[in-house]
Amino acid sequence: MNRLGLIIYREWITRVRRRAFIIGTLLVPVLLALGVGFGAWMENAEMEQNKVLVVDLSGMITFWDDTRQAYLPICPECFPKREHLQYRFADQALDDADFLLSDFTSMVLLDDAILQHGQAKNLYEKSPSITAQNAIERDLSSAIERFKVKEELSLDYETYKRLKTKVSLVGEDIVTKDGNATGRSLIGFVFSLFMFIQIMVYGMHVMRGVIEEKANRIVEVIISVVRPMELLAGKIIGIGLVGVTQVIALTVLGFLMFQVGGQALEMSGVLTSASNEAVELDFETWMASNDLLGFVLEVNWPLMVVCALVYFAAGFFMYAALFAAIGSAVEQESDAQYLMLPAMLPLLASYITAAMAIQNPEGQVAVIGSYVPLTAPILMLIRLPLGVAWWELALSLSGVIATAYGFVLVSARIFRTGILMHGKNITVRELFRWIRHD
Amino acid sequence: MPTAPALDISGIEKRFGEQRALADVGFHVPQSGIFGLLGPNGAGKTTLLRMLNGITAPDAGSISFFGEPLTRGHLPSIGYLPEERGLYKSMRVGEQALYFAQLRGLDKKEARERLRYWFDRLEVDGWWHKEVSEVSKGMAQKIQFILSVLHEPRLLILDEPLSGFDPINAQRIREVILELKAKGDTTILLSTHDMGSVEEMCDEVALLNRGQLVLNGKVPELREAARDGRYAVSFRDSVMGFTVALGASAELIEVNPNPEVPGEHVAMLRLPAESDIATWVRWISEKVELTSCMPWRPGMRDIFIRAVEQQNEPAA
Repeated sequence: MNRLGLIIYREWITRVRRRAFIIGTLLVPVLLALGVGFGAWMENAEMEQNKVLVVDLSGMITFWDDTRQAYLPICPECFPKREHLQYRFADQALDDADFLLSDFTSMVLLDDAILQHGQAKNLYEKSPSITAQNAIERDLSSAIERFKVKEELSLDYETYKRLKTKVSLVGEDIVTKDGNATGRSLIGFVFSLFMFIQIMVYGMHVMRGVIEEKANRIVEVIISVVRPMELLAGKIIGIGLVGVTQVIALTVLGFLMFQVGGQALEMSGVLTSASNEAVELDFETWMASNDLLGFVLEVNWPLMVVCALVYFAAGFFMYAALFAAIGSAVEQESDAQYLMLPAMLPLLASYITAAMAIQNPEGQVAVIGSYVPLTAPILMLIRLPLGVAWWELALSLSGVIATAYGFVLVSARIFRTGILMHGKNITVRELFRWIRHD
Repeated sequence: MPTAPALDISGIEKRFGEQRALADVGFHVPQSGIFGLLGPNGAGKTTLLRMLNGITAPDAGSISFFGEPLTRGHLPSIGYLPEERGLYKSMRVGEQALYFAQLRGLDKKEARERLRYWFDRLEVDGWWHKEVSEVSKGMAQKIQFILSVLHEPRLLILDEPLSGFDPINAQRIREVILELKAKGDTTILLSTHDMGSVEEMCDEVALLNRGQLVLNGKVPELREAARDGRYAVSFRDSVMGFTVALGASAELIEVNPNPEVPGEHVAMLRLPAESDIATWVRWISEKVELTSCMPWRPGMRDIFIRAVEQQNEPAA
């Protein structure tokens, strides 16, 4: 193994074998599962009553019933009775003021354009829960599907598959006119949050490692054997690999939990159809039919995991180089505080923007932030589940990689001088002198 | 054909901002001996040692290593024990020793064998599986010393190698250093403030002060050259009797009891330039009981202090 390899291996192995790392890694999926379970319980416990007015402008899925003096669905079974969801039907939309005065929580507008683009506008005063939205989408999909099948005169199975339609609700707040993509961006936010934590935690590891080597005076011996740049690169790569190891371990554990947990649930017979409790379902079907968990299956997981790894690698290099430079410029961790703040601001800003972008992931701030190198590793991940053009991904990634490269070069200059400096408070002016000094 | 010196240091200059750390420093370090690099704190010794290890580069001047311009390629042939040294606290002793040995270019198997020998030799065996945070300071010092000699370097740079050791372990390390010298395969560059060690171990020294070379040469020659006409005279008499007998025949510098012989004193005195020592000894022996009279050769401590003070004195 060459020297760089030795440094990388030491940085990696001394961390991944620590009890705290192993326990922490094992605990994350357990805590996540508990969190999801708690969230599901809370969602059900706090589910509000939803009363939806379906406005069928083209008369595709409703008819006027003279006896009941009301519009009714042509396919009543498409709109099953649900505990927290009631439907009413109409052929004309209420105007905004009437809607706000009514007891409807949302109003879905359907016209025959849905046959082309599969989208229906959902107007609301207060955004319905993800569970309610999923249920409405499924019900409308099923009703439109019936309509299409009825329209087709000579229907065979292949034709049916071609006509199979999924309706997605394009939400819009009736007051603010904001789009609703809450459910879609939730996964992205989880990834962003995870990325934020990983970059922070392992970036701090790099800084502490540098401070330890400097304070313990180990560095003098090491850089008499390897170049400071090799030491810096080995440290960043080694600690970065600890993060990657954790991501891989969590992915494997998550997959195993999904499989083993699913099988256990299947065998226990608790997975039953929501409409008929006598019908037992397999885990995947149950997930797909579950109001809260169904969207988990709709995410392109391989793409998300690969992008998360690439953004983690580039983003981590960028921030770790910065943290390493800070570590080399100070004597002890407490001295690093005043330098840490400006370095952490972009990270914190990205996290706050990501949290706000759950409601509006395609908003201007999130979109611009996903191109800015310092915030892109976190903000691009929140947009990815919604679909991002390849050029946007390329622009964002190349910016992050170029900035990471620049940061490593600048940090190496600070690092090589800083690690040998003792007993002196470093000024910002001096830092710039070190950067300029070749 | 004369052999090239282990180090040929010539015209070295180094500045840190406004501060001049080394100014036109140059000397040779001959092969296979122990060369002392001396100087007060801040004299530029560490800066020079860092240059030899490729940690920093000189602004001007050149360094040759066994006849070749010193490059990073020579670093595996150099062992370095810095004054400020440490180990990774959360790593096990053996694992850490293997890591540093491999960084120095040894393969794992060879490193393990050599470590076994050195751990046994310096009584560190039994600590292989312990974390560094569990070992004593002295034990950690021994491990660091082992790591600097393990790869059998051609040049071994030791910066205060005996500091932090108890007298027994200091003697053990001193013996190892002298043994390495006796084998003749290793040139040792010893930086220390312990002048006793310099007199005991060093063949040659260079003294730096304020970034400049102020003294350079073989230890016996420097001591001989530093003689200033003083004699150490031992006598069995009262100090008063000796002083009266001496009269104006010599300048009495100091008198101290001889710690090794009870009832005896040692006087340090300087004879006038025209006096003959043999005649003077015969003359004084008639008045007091002399036991010895030796020309006084200053120790390295005195040479060090005198050289530094002379340079530090403002020009008249």
